[in-house]
Amino acid sequence: MNAKPRTLGIITNNQHNVFQRNVLAGVREVAAQRGYTVAIDSYAEDPARPQPITLDYHAVDGVLVIANAAPNDLLQAIYESGTPISLVSHHVPGSSIPAVITDNAQGITEMVRYVVGECGRRSLIFVRGLPDQRDGFERENAFRRELMRYNLPLPDDRFVPGDFSPTVAARSIQRLLDNGTAFDAIVSADYLMGIAAAETLRATGLRLPDDVLVVGFGDAPEAEAAGLTTVAADVVEQGRRAARQLISQIEGQRISGVTVLSVRLIVRAPCDPR
Amino acid sequence: MVKARHPSDKATHSQLKRHNRELVLRAIYHGIADNRAALAQETGLAKPTVSELVAELIDEGLLAENGHGPSGEGGGKRPRLVKFVPTARNVIGISLSEERAEGALAFLDGRIVARHQVELHGAQGDDVIARLADVINGLLAQLDAPLLCIGIGVPGVVNSDRGIVSHTARLGWYNVPLASILSELYSVPVYVANNTELAALGQFVFGPAGEMDSLATVLVGGGVGVGMVVNGTAYHGGREIGYLRVADQSLVDAPPDSEGRLETFLGWHYVRQRAAALCRAYGSDLLPGPDELTYLHLGYAAANGDPAALALQDELSRYLAQVFAWIIGLLRPDHISLAGPMADYGEPLLAQTIAYTQELILPDLVEEVTFSLAESANLILMGAIAQALQYELGLA
Repeated sequence: MNAKPRTLGIITNNQHNVFQRNVLAGVREVAAQRGYTVAIDSYAEDPARPQPITLDYHAVDGVLVIANAAPNDLLQAIYESGTPISLVSHHVPGSSIPAVITDNAQGITEMVRYVVGECGRRSLIFVRGLPDQRDGFERENAFRRELMRYNLPLPDDRFVPGDFSPTVAARSIQRLLDNGTAFDAIVSADYLMGIAAAETLRATGLRLPDDVLVVGFGDAPEAEAAGLTTVAADVVEQGRRAARQLISQIEGQRISGVTVLSVRLIVRAPCDPR
Repeated sequence: MVKARHPSDKATHSQLKRHNRELVLRAIYHGIADNRAALAQETGLAKPTVSELVAELIDEGLLAENGHGPSGEGGGKRPRLVKFVPTARNVIGISLSEERAEGALAFLDGRIVARHQVELHGAQGDDVIARLADVINGLLAQLDAPLLCIGIGVPGVVNSDRGIVSHTARLGWYNVPLASILSELYSVPVYVANNTELAALGQFVFGPAGEMDSLATVLVGGGVGVGMVVNGTAYHGGREIGYLRVADQSLVDAPPDSEGRLETFLGWHYVRQRAAALCRAYGSDLLPGPDELTYLHLGYAAANGDPAALALQDELSRYLAQVFAWIIGLLRPDHISLAGPMADYGEPLLAQTIAYTQELILPDLVEEVTFSLAESANLILMGAIAQALQYELGLA
């Protein structure tokens, strides 16, 4: 009989951002069902004054890390200590630390099928994430593959900087407009950059999606409010699945490798097929 | 009318009951009947038998009451409708290659909820089984419903009836009783088949191919394989055929170690070398070097008029046509699909292959067959799921 409730330790760099908040909601739901308490270490609520990670991972039954909230050497140290650990939306290349991630390649495939196959757009711009982050390079590689499938050319000037930053994305789109570059669709490596791109286009009087179709990756209430068409896995569900993976390990199941969740296309502003 | 699968089989009472249960389930699953009276009519079973089976299936959660339908022509009582519940059980499908083990957790309609993958890093023998367990454990953590069974596709020679992998040299497996090892570990039925035949079954059950009884899937990637579905069931004999000799080897300079083997003309290792040679001969602005090259690059370059990619497309079509001709000559299937990485070359390769096939056998025979490209990356996984559904529920 286990008298003391067991604890899941969560490392996140923020618990109020939409993504992290939704992951936590899913984790809390499963933890409550399975009789676990949740201890959260959010070390950098104020990005200007980041705090060190203080979670004592020896004192909890398992550790769940959201996105890139902890450096890889810390993740590896926790993993090697034998404390069960699961990563959400993050993966350490070459390591077998269990993780729950979304299917970037499938998401881009669905997205390009919609933009090119259904909406008939032929002149696409890709707003890049950070190419050294997993989500960034996987989405970009998948985009290059899918364009080839439709026999569309991919000159380098069609890939513009975004850095997963709305400001950088907006600046890139403004530069395209200033240069008079012609395009009829923008595929953005995440939804925040997609929203920024859409706002930039609207500010110049372009009609969306008639003149330019803008799509993003990932979903949150902001994307819904902006009417952005996107591909996404349910983020709360991602939290639930990660909690299940972690609890399964705590309860004695050996898990290694990555669980990949399917994403689906969410069309918010239907296109007129061309 | 739902047909019995083996009407001439002599059956024991429990086999008969299972058979009847499958008839009922299949009729509802395929939307042929949605109430007890229609089920009795479609299956030829007595109404009390149907009612009893439906009650049992509702108890198990596989069927659910679904309100009332309109009354028949003569008026009278409105029939109580029943529907299939695809979320009543989960199924795990696994595809094993020499590089990785990849599993999918799905509902009974084939909808994939989560996948889990583990790299093999050259693992051999028992270590490969440990990696398979990693995949299964990863998916078991994500179950949304009770697990019905596990289906596994493996490269190499498989005795599916006994669940034994007879021979997969590159995984170091000889006579491995994979089904019994895993079903003891996980206490659910486990089904094992060759990857190629599962690709065919996946295409047959979940592909958009339409009404048909028989189909062949030609899987071309690292090697060449053919899988078949005959009369709606996977034919356990599908496998790699890359060691067979090509009839007409005069088309290109065969590689020195070729001995005329099909895989030395169609296997990726050789295709990549041939692409490099053609690039040197014709020049190419659109193709990357051999390390980066994929079939998508080749299809893209050919569609944009690249001479090297077009020449290679022509050569590959001629060899592939020999495979298509054998299949049609022997089997006359309703449908042939080209699957695996080579499908990324695209429709022009398929069209050219069909044209060359017509030069090799009676064009009328070719006319009777429909063709498609199977682009799904999950084909083998879907086949493993389909196989599990066929064996456990008699569906699909």
